[in-house]
Amino acid sequence: MTNIESTACFLFNKDQNHYVCEGSWSILNVNTLNKQFKDTTALDSVKISGAGITHFDSAGALVLLQYVHSLKKQKKQVELMEFNPKHQDLLKLIEEKQDALTYTPPAPQKHSVLYKIGLETTHKLSQVDGLIVLIGSLSDKIFAAFAEWRRFQFPSIMSNIQSTGLNALPIIALLSFLIGVVLAYQMGLQLETYGASIFIAYLSGMAIFREFAPLITAIIVAGRTSSAFTAQIGSMKINEEIDALNTMGLSPIELIVVPKVLGLLFIFPLLIFWADIFSILGAMLMSKFMLQVGYLDFITRLQDSVGLQQMMLGLYKAPAFALLISLVGCFQGFRVEPNADSVGSQTTKSVVQALFLIIIADAIFSVVYSWMDL
Amino acid sequence: MSQPVIEIKGLKNYLGNQWVHSDVNLSIEKGEIVAIIGGSGSGKTTILRSVLMLQKPTAGKITVFGKDISTLNDQSADEMRRRWGMLFQHSALFSGMTVLENIMFPMKELTSLEHPFMKKLAMLKISLVGLPKEAASKLPSQLSGGMQRRAAAARALAMDPELLFLDEPTTGLDPYSARQFDELILFLRDALDLTVVIVSHDLESIKRCTDRVAFIGEGKILALEPIKDLMKNKQPLIAEYFSKF
Repeated sequence: MTNIESTACFLFNKDQNHYVCEGSWSILNVNTLNKQFKDTTALDSVKISGAGITHFDSAGALVLLQYVHSLKKQKKQVELMEFNPKHQDLLKLIEEKQDALTYTPPAPQKHSVLYKIGLETTHKLSQVDGLIVLIGSLSDKIFAAFAEWRRFQFPSIMSNIQSTGLNALPIIALLSFLIGVVLAYQMGLQLETYGASIFIAYLSGMAIFREFAPLITAIIVAGRTSSAFTAQIGSMKINEEIDALNTMGLSPIELIVVPKVLGLLFIFPLLIFWADIFSILGAMLMSKFMLQVGYLDFITRLQDSVGLQQMMLGLYKAPAFALLISLVGCFQGFRVEPNADSVGSQTTKSVVQALFLIIIADAIFSVVYSWMDL
Repeated sequence: MSQPVIEIKGLKNYLGNQWVHSDVNLSIEKGEIVAIIGGSGSGKTTILRSVLMLQKPTAGKITVFGKDISTLNDQSADEMRRRWGMLFQHSALFSGMTVLENIMFPMKELTSLEHPFMKKLAMLKISLVGLPKEAASKLPSQLSGGMQRRAAAARALAMDPELLFLDEPTTGLDPYSARQFDELILFLRDALDLTVVIVSHDLESIKRCTDRVAFIGEGKILALEPIKDLMKNKQPLIAEYFSKF
């Protein structure tokens, strides 16, 4: 068996006045050969013998032909001899393909700045357009489903609740607990100097119920779920599963998007409540250790000065956040194109856009609440 | 030269709660074109995957180029991988790269060739497999299925392997392209001294280009002989396979 790892040589044989190729002319030895060609100063009439070649692959043949061409350009006579018929065939074949080898793919067209701005604008507009279409067909499907309960896909909704809600419970609990601790610590530092330690319950309660718990939950869910939706729908699209549904006359919106949206809508308020509990726990613990505010005092103050109403104000944000996360996730999933890069970039986009929209929505809520004097 | 390129002894594979292979014995000589055929689900591709070290066999010994693949260390396994090329059933081209970049990719990673030479070599492979040169700058998603298959073949040939595995290379090609592909395989075998292992259902292509055909059924190689003899084989499974032709 020939060993392609062995070396290749291009030597001048003085006795017979010709050049000899020896060894394994394979892709691994191309660099060595090229160097040897460079070091050789050729005579006016060159005879090259291929009798000593043990392994000859297309890279070896190509490098030899390249050398022959460069010699011919210098007006030298070149003769190839003693190549075995198989090697000759290979050389002949590559010779025939010569014109294809020098093909340079056309360079990508360069566009002016205005063109790029225009392109980006239409791109963004078509995205908005697509999102509106998605929302439209989503509401259409949901309303249609009311006429026929079977179409709500309850098993699918349940599995979405499991994966987007139940599985997220530990991480949400941990993070909101830590936020509660940090929040109470920062506020406690200030309150302590004024001797107003008992206000810790009011301050941290307000902040947690109205802002922190909903926002932390939304951020975690956006990171976990919106990316998962995009990747799932995206790979279904690449695998032509979406097309398969369409050709069966089934609606991918109804079968894939509706259960995701409804599942998240259902579980999201519960997740916020879960985050409320653990943030308050964190704050309570910190108040006890740092400010010596007892658990019972904390809870009583919380109930009296903050109350259920503030907690509800946080929970009212849930449907908006849930809709944004699930819609953006699904929408970006449908925009995936059939290549691996696209799944990655759309997933990134879906998380970034979901976070962006969540912050915007949160700001709108704040404005509306302040108008309503809540 | 007497040593076979691939030698499989007592290969067993247990997958998905069933025995796919109970006792596969197969030996392939250098320069041969061998096809592996058999009914759907008989484990044709699994044999390839076992040989290619993509899947650890449950039991058995596989020797490639005279080396037992189960005892290779990482480095010699990589050296081994450099000496074979595989054309996957669904092409498996890298979707984010153009055809040219796909073919140049293994060269870039495994050799230190100069860029212009690498490009020339890649273009050579593109024209060898019969793709128009304009296809070089296209993404796989912009090509038809048949052209993707050719591009994948070009990538399999990128490192000038001594051993080429083809998983259903002509499925989904039009008859003319499929015959061209057969000629290409024959030509490459002669020109590059290749050993080729084909998994295929395309009887026309098997008749044209294989030296021997291994028929797999009941988890074993039931026969390994030239297609002419195989078609006359009286073994019930084999007879049934060919009965509708």
